[in-house]
Amino acid sequence: MTRSFRFAAVATLLMMATSPLLFIAAAQQLSDREKHIGGKFMCMCGCSQVLTQCNHLGCTTSTAMLKELRQAVDGGKSEDSVTQMFVQEFGTKVYAEPPKSGFSLVAWAMPTIYLILGTALVIFVISRWRKQPVSKVALAGGAPSIPPQILERARAQAARETEG
Amino acid sequence: MDLFGSFALLLALACAVYAFIGGIAAILTRHPLLVKSTRQAGMATCCLIFVATFSLEYLFFSDNFSVAYVVSHSNRDLSTFYKIAALWSGQEGSLLFWSFLLAIYVFSVLLAYRNKNGELMPYVGVVLVGVQIFFLTLNNFVVSPFKALASPGANGALAYVARADGNGLTPLLQYPEMVIHPPNLYAGYTGFTIPFAFALGALLARYPGEKWIHLTRKWTMIAWMFQSLGILLGAHWAYAVLGWGGYWGWDPVENASLLPWLTGTAFLHSVMMQEKRGMMKVWNVWLVFCTFLLCILGTMLTRSGVVSSVHAFAQSSIGNWFVGFIAIVLLVCFGAYLWNRDYLNSENHLDSIVSRESSFLFNNLLLLVSCLAVLSGTLFPVFSEWITGDRISVGAPFFNKVNIPAGLLLLFLTGIGPLLAWRKTSVESLKRNFGWPLGTGLVAGVIAFVLGFRELFSLICLILCVFVAATIGLEFFRGARVIRARSGASLVASAIELTMRNTRRYGGYIVHLGMVFVFIGLSGAAFNHDVQKEMHFGDSLQIGPYTLILQTIDTKPEKNYTAQRMIVEVLKGNRPQMMLYPEKRQFATTEQTGTMVAIHSTLKEDLYVVFAGLSPDTQLPVIHAYLNPLVKWIWFGGVVVVFGTLVALLPNRRDVLVLAGANQPARQALPHGLTPSITLREGHD
Repeated sequence: MTRSFRFAAVATLLMMATSPLLFIAAAQQLSDREKHIGGKFMCMCGCSQVLTQCNHLGCTTSTAMLKELRQAVDGGKSEDSVTQMFVQEFGTKVYAEPPKSGFSLVAWAMPTIYLILGTALVIFVISRWRKQPVSKVALAGGAPSIPPQILERARAQAARETEG
Repeated sequence: MDLFGSFALLLALACAVYAFIGGIAAILTRHPLLVKSTRQAGMATCCLIFVATFSLEYLFFSDNFSVAYVVSHSNRDLSTFYKIAALWSGQEGSLLFWSFLLAIYVFSVLLAYRNKNGELMPYVGVVLVGVQIFFLTLNNFVVSPFKALASPGANGALAYVARADGNGLTPLLQYPEMVIHPPNLYAGYTGFTIPFAFALGALLARYPGEKWIHLTRKWTMIAWMFQSLGILLGAHWAYAVLGWGGYWGWDPVENASLLPWLTGTAFLHSVMMQEKRGMMKVWNVWLVFCTFLLCILGTMLTRSGVVSSVHAFAQSSIGNWFVGFIAIVLLVCFGAYLWNRDYLNSENHLDSIVSRESSFLFNNLLLLVSCLAVLSGTLFPVFSEWITGDRISVGAPFFNKVNIPAGLLLLFLTGIGPLLAWRKTSVESLKRNFGWPLGTGLVAGVIAFVLGFRELFSLICLILCVFVAATIGLEFFRGARVIRARSGASLVASAIELTMRNTRRYGGYIVHLGMVFVFIGLSGAAFNHDVQKEMHFGDSLQIGPYTLILQTIDTKPEKNYTAQRMIVEVLKGNRPQMMLYPEKRQFATTEQTGTMVAIHSTLKEDLYVVFAGLSPDTQLPVIHAYLNPLVKWIWFGGVVVVFGTLVALLPNRRDVLVLAGANQPARQALPHGLTPSITLREGHD
């Protein structure tokens, strides 16, 4: 591959890859305070959408909640006060994401626990695969092993009985 | 016709029960006639389900308003197009549709393997009809779509009645994609029954290894493709109809469709470990079991009212049936596994951590963590209510925070995984394969940063997208160069030839490329922007480079609804660009309103305009306009994903070029740095 060809290939790839950026640079705008605070609550109509995004048909709940939010923000209430106001009115189900306290911490902890346990499992499996010879790997889980001839017979039977 | 449909369903259940019991007897006795008889009973079950389904469709088309389901989901003015979709628009019909799609799969499997795999098929058949029996039980006795409309007569006894017209189809469903989105999604859900049946059947039959995987690879890919397509069409429907400017809200029903997709994706990758190296057999079996169970769980979540969702069907007691079925399936799977787990032991060990095997392990880890995070987040409100008495919502912000990092790591693995060699990858190989792509990605990141791309995750996403696209491009380029050197064909023709020689590997790369496009589209969400404004006629609204001028509002009577239509002129830089016509529709029969969003879509951005109704205070029309960057890349990526899957499903073309090459008078020498081993190295397949 010639140097100029390489350069042209990389330049083309870069141009293709960054073209979306040129498009969107102008679109960036800051959201206002209402949107910021409203994004922390769910619409209470049962649509499972965030308050500021609920626009489903005939939803009067989000309209009322947004009005309430607007009044609170215009009245100079802090984010915490607005949160308290909505929690008192609707209960904890108004949170768009579980608060990081009490039982709700479980929701946040679970993905981390999955990741830690999963990583530990992968590391365990890898170390086991690396350390043990093949014959021992075949004894996974401490289960009684099948004699190789029986396994081979089963494999031959499977090959005979299937034609996939 | 309603009686005819009911009878067909009842007969189908009887045939399925016979096929199930007869199948078990056939496994025990191995009597050829019994095997044949039960297979035919299984096929008859499918045919009867087809008859029942077509009967219900006939009731819709003939406007038979003596059937409760037809009354609830159709009316005389409903177009033919939507009368087809009315079949799956309610609980009863959609479950029949589930059975229908499952029957297509089962019939195809029984037909395709009628003279093959004689010992395995009875096991597979029993599992398949077992699943059919469950759904047929629901169709017959729990949520029958053929219930006649009845009302109390003068003497208090119920009397059959017929209505002059029906209630009509929910406005939200009167959109073209709703005619194709549910069938695709259901085809995905039901399709995973096939690999499940083969996996369980092979385990019960004590087959030690790869056979069931070879047999079901294409079925799994077909199911996965439909599931992907269904999810994307659903996202597009949400985007174009719900009018909230987004395409994915982490709604429980959306999550339910994502869960089996994640495990199915994990399976499609880890299955290669078993094929190539005889490893991860237990894992693969359980991945298939989990995928099927998640399909059933997803169906349950949509229908039981356990979680609240705008997409869900009405709350009903049907959830208990699903819980029972899931419990039975789990028991059978555990039992089969414990009984025969010795046949699933690994045959190889890992030579190096830097290898394809490791990348698959981490790929599976991330997909599973993501799946479990979505699952626990979806069910957390239910658990929190059980445990504390307070229902704690888990909405989009939670899912985004948890899944975005996992998604980016997966994207990274999408780049590196296919280029790592099996067993062991040398440092030299790493340099050769990743140097250019990594450099390209980083340079793209710098350019993006300079251009003002300052959202961290979006920036990382873009760098990774470039990196992955570059690795894929390099793989195609290197392979095509070898073929071009031998055949003298153009680079493009060589790339096509390369793909056709190893469709699975290069089809897989195309799927990955599609996912890159999807991720590019997702990265744009960080820059979404919207403006809402009350408008007099002639008023303008500025959003990004566009100026929207409300010209007028007119009324457009249609057969099934009346539309109030905004006529909006769009200028860009003071130059007229187009007219947009966002609508608000009033459906006479249901007295509900619907939205028809007007979208001007380009690769750069979507201008998304919603007629948000009249202001309650001023009675002025309200426009809600959004500027959503890069959204079109998501749909385009979806098309590429489907195309790649179709390519991967094609059989490999025979290596005719090599034979033809022998007749060439003078073969070109291979370019420097290329060795024939590049065509021999095991790739994505």
